[in-house]
Amino acid sequence: MFVSGLYMVNADISKADQYKLFQIHKAAGVVMLWTLFVRVCVRIFTYAPELPIEFSKSDKKKAKAGHILLYIAVVVMPLSGWLMVSASPFGLPTFVFVDWIKWPHIPGVARNKMIETIANNIHWITASILGFLIIGHIGAVIWHRNKHGVNLLDRMWWSKTKR
Amino acid sequence: MLETQLRFEGALKTRQQGNGDYSFYLSLLLLLMTAFIYTPSSFAQEKFSVSAKNSQVTFAGVHVGMQFSGVFDKWNADIVLPPAASPQILATFYVASAKTGDSTYDSTLPEGDWFDVENHPKSIFESSQIVAKDKDYAVTGTLTLRGISQPVAFLLKNNETTLTASFTIDRLAYNIGMESDPDAEWVNKEIKMTLTLQKQ
Repeated sequence: MFVSGLYMVNADISKADQYKLFQIHKAAGVVMLWTLFVRVCVRIFTYAPELPIEFSKSDKKKAKAGHILLYIAVVVMPLSGWLMVSASPFGLPTFVFVDWIKWPHIPGVARNKMIETIANNIHWITASILGFLIIGHIGAVIWHRNKHGVNLLDRMWWSKTKR
Repeated sequence: MLETQLRFEGALKTRQQGNGDYSFYLSLLLLLMTAFIYTPSSFAQEKFSVSAKNSQVTFAGVHVGMQFSGVFDKWNADIVLPPAASPQILATFYVASAKTGDSTYDSTLPEGDWFDVENHPKSIFESSQIVAKDKDYAVTGTLTLRGISQPVAFLLKNNETTLTASFTIDRLAYNIGMESDPDAEWVNKEIKMTLTLQKQ
């Protein structure tokens, strides 16, 4: 999504390719939104493992804050994109890869240039922040592995080892 | 037709010489029959009605460098051509029936900024003058789309079974896509219209 987003906005490509890439990006965004919906449900309704005991109090706080920020960012991404598309002066529909799945626009914002601009800014600023958060997130996994010798991937993935 | 007649007369002569009276009358009968069959087409029909059932009105343009085209599925026209006393073409198009086959275009076209089908469900073409030109017809008139009337002119070509014409309209002259793309940066402003009308 990062690559396609940056490419379709900045790259020197033909209008046709740009248009097609936009439609793919929009469709993929809807899939992302649904995936996130499932993810948030899983997070709310199932058990999430505690943070490892090796962590200090401040580590735990930072980890919690980082995770909350990650959730906020990944939810804001598709929502701001959806808002931007809904408010776009082009008013183009969003089809999720096939003609028979038409994703609706958010009502009440059609052709609203101001809302589109705001949503556009939220979209790319959040994308930049999310980029750093992801780097931080992966960095933290590596750092804890080296410092505490814990494999944090175990608590992210389906794992048989009880923690 | 003249050729057929000549051929028949030729055949007539040989038969007269060969087989006598019987074949002469048969040939004469055949000649009369052919004359009868061919008569209607020698006077081109001047008055008829056409619709999407037997004829076609298409539009085509370019979006982001890609060709697109579509048809109107619902329209009808009454046509009176010269030499009839008061030649006229009156056509009504239901713009909601425009179909391109592309789901993105088809769901965008009816919208307020494009065809605005809610406020202007009908488009009307009314001729102001039709002049016979060789075997074709020079047509001038007014096309009303989205409530805006603009003059159009085209040559209606008179073919064997069809009348055809093609001409270009400027979508911006009708405020089509004025909000989305006023500078024709994405969708070209020239839209090519093609008519293929079945003569009855």
